Amino acid sequence: MAGGYLVPLALIAIVLGCAAVAGVLRRLVRISFLLTLPIGISVVLVSALTRPGETVLLVLGPFDVTLEGIDFAGQTLVRLFAISTAIGLFTLATDPRAFVFDLERRGLSPRFAFVAAATIEAVPAMAARASVIAAAQRSRGLDTEGSLRARLRGVLPIVGPVLLSSLAEVEERSLALEVRGFGRPGRRRLLWWPPDRPVERLARWLLVVALAGLVVVRLLGAWPPIP
Amino acid sequence: MLELRGATYRYAGYARPVLHEVDLALRDGEIVGLVGGTESGKSTICLVASGLAPLSIGGELRGEVRIDGEPTAGLAVHELAQRVVIGFQNPATQRSGIAATVFEEVALGPMNLGLPVVETLARARRALATLRIEHLADRDPARLSGGQGQLVAIASLLAMGARHVLLDEPTAQLDPEGSNLVGAALRDLAATGAALLVAEQRTDLLDGLCDRVVVVDGGRIVLDGPAAATLEDPRLEDWGVEPPSRVRLARALAARRLPGLAELGWPA
Repeated sequence: MAGGYLVPLALIAIVLGCAAVAGVLRRLVRISFLLTLPIGISVVLVSALTRPGETVLLVLGPFDVTLEGIDFAGQTLVRLFAISTAIGLFTLATDPRAFVFDLERRGLSPRFAFVAAATIEAVPAMAARASVIAAAQRSRGLDTEGSLRARLRGVLPIVGPVLLSSLAEVEERSLALEVRGFGRPGRRRLLWWPPDRPVERLARWLLVVALAGLVVVRLLGAWPPIP
Repeated sequence: MLELRGATYRYAGYARPVLHEVDLALRDGEIVGLVGGTESGKSTICLVASGLAPLSIGGELRGEVRIDGEPTAGLAVHELAQRVVIGFQNPATQRSGIAATVFEEVALGPMNLGLPVVETLARARRALATLRIEHLADRDPARLSGGQGQLVAIASLLAMGARHVLLDEPTAQLDPEGSNLVGAALRDLAATGAALLVAEQRTDLLDGLCDRVVVVDGGRIVLDGPAAATLEDPRLEDWGVEPPSRVRLARALAARRLPGLAELGWPA
């Protein structure tokens, strides 16, 4: 049972340690909780109430809450938290432009690099647009506060204009890029790329080796299977 | 010189053309204003002249576009973009979204062209200097005012090295301060010898800036003449164009038999 927790908890500890070094620990914990919470609640409910087991801890109407179900929910939660902290650390500690330029320098297509960078950069812009549209809709009487039902009712009048206005801008945005030579075939000349220190290269290689090692261990059956 | 000769253009999916037999010449160093009511065809003329229509947006073009006497048919957009560029009304949609600084934003075009780094840097610096916005070089392009953003968008076009610049309502989404900023920059740009075609509904921007003004209505050029005379033409409002405030004020004074603008000391 403990084996199912050990690796994810170790990963969480490593990630949180890195986050502390990068100065983003508090934000990472908050974001990771927010990311994990919605799925976590459903995982706990479904696992605790429906997973069969021998040790019944509690009977809730037609449902038996078993130790095995709680254990499964706990293991899934720490895995989810490990995944969300890893993703969160990546987004908080990595300059998206530096990441994409580096990928492009290593051979990624400029078009793909642009799509990746623009997508990352578009998120705050869309959030700002949604905030403006939500304020405008609220000023016209739309109720976006209060009960879950009221909030859900308020989503559509906000999401619709956000998506439509974003789509309306797509053509002008793509034309503006075309005019700046974006459609030219071949590689473009980058002005800069992030420095790549020996310690970073070493860390990357260690991670690759660790990943390969884990795959081998898993294939050899020397690792406890996922319950 | 950029020329449209007998340009008739139909958008993809449309049954009828929106431009009809348009003949328009933009000479080197000339600033031409393009005015007309809503859906008169101003933006379409800009798109056709830039080559984006039909190259990027599809549709059917009859007639031809020539730059310095050579037909542009057969050229790719990125090849055309080194000879003619087009700017749009919204500074936000013209931002690449991947540049951390204004300098990088302006340098993006030359980078896309694969120019040597030295040339890219020189072009970006020159473009910023032409519009006198060197002080914005280190700023985040996403955090500029509308007017500053539009200047950065125009500088990004200049860095492509084109001598013909088409601007489709560059001040439409700007406040008066932003419009003044862009107007002053266009005067500076014109002084460098660039040929400018400025499509605008706000004739105040064009008054005093343009050498010539072209009026378009229903996809046809209905008037083409010296800026002052065209902007004073009494038929302008019939074509959905509001005359500049200078002209409206002069008419209002004349209607009340008051002294004219010259007597009031209005600059000619």
